[in-house]
Amino acid sequence: MLAFLRLVVFGFLILSVIYVVVSLWSRATRRSKLEQEWEASGRPGDKETYLTEGMAQYDRSLRRKLILLIYVVPVVAVSAIIYVTNFM
Amino acid sequence: MVYVKWVFLALFWLIVAGFLHYTLPQRDIVRIVNTYEERQDVTGWTRMFWAASDESQAKLESWDVQFIQAVQPDGDPMVYRNEDTGWGWPPYFKFDTANLYTDANDSVSTKDAPEWYAITHYGWRNEFLSIFPNAVSIGRVEGPDVRLVPWFNIIVLTVLAAFAWGIWVRWKRFRKNRIEPTIDDWTDGWG
Repeated sequence: MLAFLRLVVFGFLILSVIYVVVSLWSRATRRSKLEQEWEASGRPGDKETYLTEGMAQYDRSLRRKLILLIYVVPVVAVSAIIYVTNFM
Repeated sequence: MVYVKWVFLALFWLIVAGFLHYTLPQRDIVRIVNTYEERQDVTGWTRMFWAASDESQAKLESWDVQFIQAVQPDGDPMVYRNEDTGWGWPPYFKFDTANLYTDANDSVSTKDAPEWYAITHYGWRNEFLSIFPNAVSIGRVEGPDVRLVPWFNIIVLTVLAAFAWGIWVRWKRFRKNRIEPTIDDWTDGWG
């Protein structure tokens, strides 16, 4: 039982670190792409407003929610391995 | 100095390859001849080649281990251990040791009327270290010449290589765009 808790706790911590890193990286990428977009489309209006709106759009996007797969995929994989190893 | 770099690189890749070779599953086609159980003293550095599936086992210095004796198609012997991995490493999440032992006993066949089985296992057999690969599952196959494609390993290695490459490329880019200019700034005018 302790081994199971250890797996869950450490797994959660490691996945959380990955989640945070990927989230920050994804935001930074999105932001720099928005900046490029703003430059390329002839600098429409205020740059800060453009970026704020773009990032708000990103916050609602599917792309951002997909990062949650970092938690989902390992859990599914572990369940699949348990099934295959013990019950097939 | 260039040798130091090459030795370091070779050692690094040797460790990576060895780790993967030990951890990833492999399938042998064998004829199972017997099973036995024997108390093993599990001390010293070779302890890592034995299971430590939970906290209480981690404190032990010896325990009973089940073994599966098998003969390969070319006549060479192979002995597998049969131990739970539990929730520990490597992540096979094997809890059905007793069931596998039963299956193995049910799969025993003679030289005259051989039945061939694919034993999925990880780990190494080494006579000098007295270590054994851990059997994970067994399944009946048609004969000793059946071709088994290691799809699981192909997928895992491909995904692993893709991840490593992706991180490597990003690290290189990060170094080029962020770290090198900063160092250039600091060392400006140093000649």
